[in-house]
Amino acid sequence: MSKSLYWMHGGGCGGDTWSLLNAEAPDILELFESLRIDVIWHPTFSRLSAPELQRINEKIITGKKKVDILCVEGSIIHGPEHTGMYDEYFGNPKKDLIFALAQQAEYVLAVGTCASFGGFGKDGEIQAGGLQYNKGNPGGLLGEHFRSGSGLPVVNLPGCPCHCDVVCGVLSAVCSGIELELGPYNSPMDWFSVMVHQGCTRNEYHEYRVEEKKFGEKGCMFFYMGCHGPLVYGPCNKTLWNRRSSKTRAGVPCFGCTSPEFPHTYPYFQTLNIEGIPIQLPDGVSRAHYMAYKGMAAAAAPERLIKRKTDI
Amino acid sequence: MATKTIEVLPVNRVEGDLKVRLTIEDREVTDARCAGTMYRGFENMLIGRSPLDSLVITPRICGICTTSHLKAAAKALDMAYKANTPDDSLRLRNVTVMTEMLQNDIRQSFLLFFPDFTSPAHAQQPLYDEALRRYAVFKGEAVVQTIRETKKLLEIISILGGQWPHSSFIVPGGVVSLPSSNDIGSCRHLLSNFRRWYETNVLGCTLERWGEIESRQGLEEWLHEKPAHSEGDVGFFIRFAKAAGLDTMGMGPGTFISFGGLTMPTVTRVAAPEGHRNYMPSGFYDGEAVQVFDERMVREDVSRAYFDDYMGPSHPFNGRTLPLQPTGDGKKYSWSKAPRYHGKPAETGPLAERIIASDPLFLDLPAGRRGSVFERQLARLVRPAALIPIMDQWLKEMLRQDSEFFHNYHTKKDGDGVGLIQAPRGALGHWMKIVDNKIANYQIITPTAWNLSPTDKNDLKGPCEHALVGTRVADPDNPVEVEHVIRSFDPCLVCCVHAVTPDGNWRNKGQHNNRRRFTLRF
Repeated sequence: MSKSLYWMHGGGCGGDTWSLLNAEAPDILELFESLRIDVIWHPTFSRLSAPELQRINEKIITGKKKVDILCVEGSIIHGPEHTGMYDEYFGNPKKDLIFALAQQAEYVLAVGTCASFGGFGKDGEIQAGGLQYNKGNPGGLLGEHFRSGSGLPVVNLPGCPCHCDVVCGVLSAVCSGIELELGPYNSPMDWFSVMVHQGCTRNEYHEYRVEEKKFGEKGCMFFYMGCHGPLVYGPCNKTLWNRRSSKTRAGVPCFGCTSPEFPHTYPYFQTLNIEGIPIQLPDGVSRAHYMAYKGMAAAAAPERLIKRKTDI
Repeated sequence: MATKTIEVLPVNRVEGDLKVRLTIEDREVTDARCAGTMYRGFENMLIGRSPLDSLVITPRICGICTTSHLKAAAKALDMAYKANTPDDSLRLRNVTVMTEMLQNDIRQSFLLFFPDFTSPAHAQQPLYDEALRRYAVFKGEAVVQTIRETKKLLEIISILGGQWPHSSFIVPGGVVSLPSSNDIGSCRHLLSNFRRWYETNVLGCTLERWGEIESRQGLEEWLHEKPAHSEGDVGFFIRFAKAAGLDTMGMGPGTFISFGGLTMPTVTRVAAPEGHRNYMPSGFYDGEAVQVFDERMVREDVSRAYFDDYMGPSHPFNGRTLPLQPTGDGKKYSWSKAPRYHGKPAETGPLAERIIASDPLFLDLPAGRRGSVFERQLARLVRPAALIPIMDQWLKEMLRQDSEFFHNYHTKKDGDGVGLIQAPRGALGHWMKIVDNKIANYQIITPTAWNLSPTDKNDLKGPCEHALVGTRVADPDNPVEVEHVIRSFDPCLVCCVHAVTPDGNWRNKGQHNNRRRFTLRF
């Protein structure tokens, strides 16, 4: 049986779609073919005319056409003044169409941080929210108790953008009837139970607290440069980006883009700290233990790291 | 008697949401208004934040020109902090932005623009079956290859900057990256693979052979020189464009702008045009000659846009983004501001780059100096031919033991910064005012704001609106010609950072009668 997929753009940059094109083995065309996914609509690729699309939308909304998988990319825009007309579609607020489509879907996937939690514009005049969360709070467009036809809530796939392997993996699971284990914020544990920090090639610097204090230095960016790697969950250093690298490997601090609070209100590229120990500590770690551990680790740091005799 | 219809079309296969309102009389477009249908409020989101946050936030404006926004933001910070940028960091910045251009040119062509040739409206074309084989959505040969080749190409940005899309590796003073010689070697291999595919499939000839074409006649001779030339995508496009009349369709206003792009390292084997600090020269073509570009002559007009026009057309340093409630009086109809240069609208993008660089081929093409659908798309499709060798040269020049990628800088409490570049779609500018270590104002002019801008106070239409007027439409129910014209500008509506509704009449019930066919009922 083939599965039908409908992709919707809300308030976003399109980056999740372009990120999805990074997928390799399978690439998206191979994926659609092997999983027998029939793409009803994708705004970037489809060639339906506007009246044709409207006819299909009406069929779906009235239950005459099945949508197995609804993917929403970009935030739900509620502004101005909760009218939703800052994001308009066929003369109506797009949020109403997304709401109506979601009621008919077997699975609803929020692709990216904006669709999951609101992301860019969550605190601003456009009143952006997520499909089933507003920032970290349950609710969103569809409400806390929403369940799609499969019985699952909205499956949140955060990241700015969402990593292509996450989308491909979830589509594979959904099409093959494999149960998705959802963790906090209804994100699949397969990708969101691992810290971004895990797998970073700068981990040895972190272990011995050899810090980077200005751009272009080698060292761990957690202590001064605002790196969120040990604070947030995501597969960046497990699966890598474009099969090659990651921001932290290249010397760019992690900005915690999978977090419901992203973009954060505090400044990036700096770590709020007390005596060199960050105020935000790795998930589940106590301050006293961390201070003792990092103090001893710094004392044990080998010369080759302190002198940066590494290629990282 | 003239039959008059008004079509309101949402346009897909562009980056972001676009709506076009057309007046069609006797199968000819007599009026056009274009605008995005989404407001995202990025400029106002930046106010009050730390200046460096622009490096995290502005790339997220656009998922396909993310590195270009990053570079523009970093250049504005370079200026505000008077940071020095070592040569290798300029090379690395250039190579990554050029990689982004290459992926955009290929993806826009084969995923967004060419699929229109498979529209049933072209079914009578003798080349229709060939178009289907090449460009059918998700299935065409060129579509499949584009998805394979562009993602490999983008590995270059990942190697040099961590990931694509949405990294923040460009910073004031250079880049944070420290690529090893092996990393740079890998980038050169990736580029060389891409080049081989591009030469074999897109051009049908070597980059060098393509570079020899300097006139309309030269192009004609090239086309018939070998079967490989006419069978490549460029050759197919030339054949199809002639058959479908794309070379007389969608004439622009004939004014072109380039902010200049790809800052030259102080020492390099790459030659910049004489008198320019950029490989891609800046300039304004006024219809007759290329004028020296002066940033102070840029204004944003909001007289037809839903923003408070509190002081008339403003330079971006003085501009504000102050949305008004739509009134539906018909005067203001768009949420996109209208950038103007010396009071004139201007087209930007790959064709503008060719005209401003006085490229002999494009100056010699029939509509080269005005721009038709054909010239606009041809310039985009062949831009990689010029960029690839330069990228390889700059990568080679980074292969030194003493390469330097960052110079430390000192932050300044107050300052102004301007970051002007050529992004994949054309002239992109970031204007940043820093007061007391915080962003006090941030204004962005995107290429799409130039191309898709609304009419201004002098009743001058934006370039795409201008190009749409006069377009002959065979079937007003399926006006594929209109779609060719719009997509030839490669519009990116997510980048229209302050764009909202098209005609602003969404509260005016009377207008809805005209869009009856497109009103969604549920």
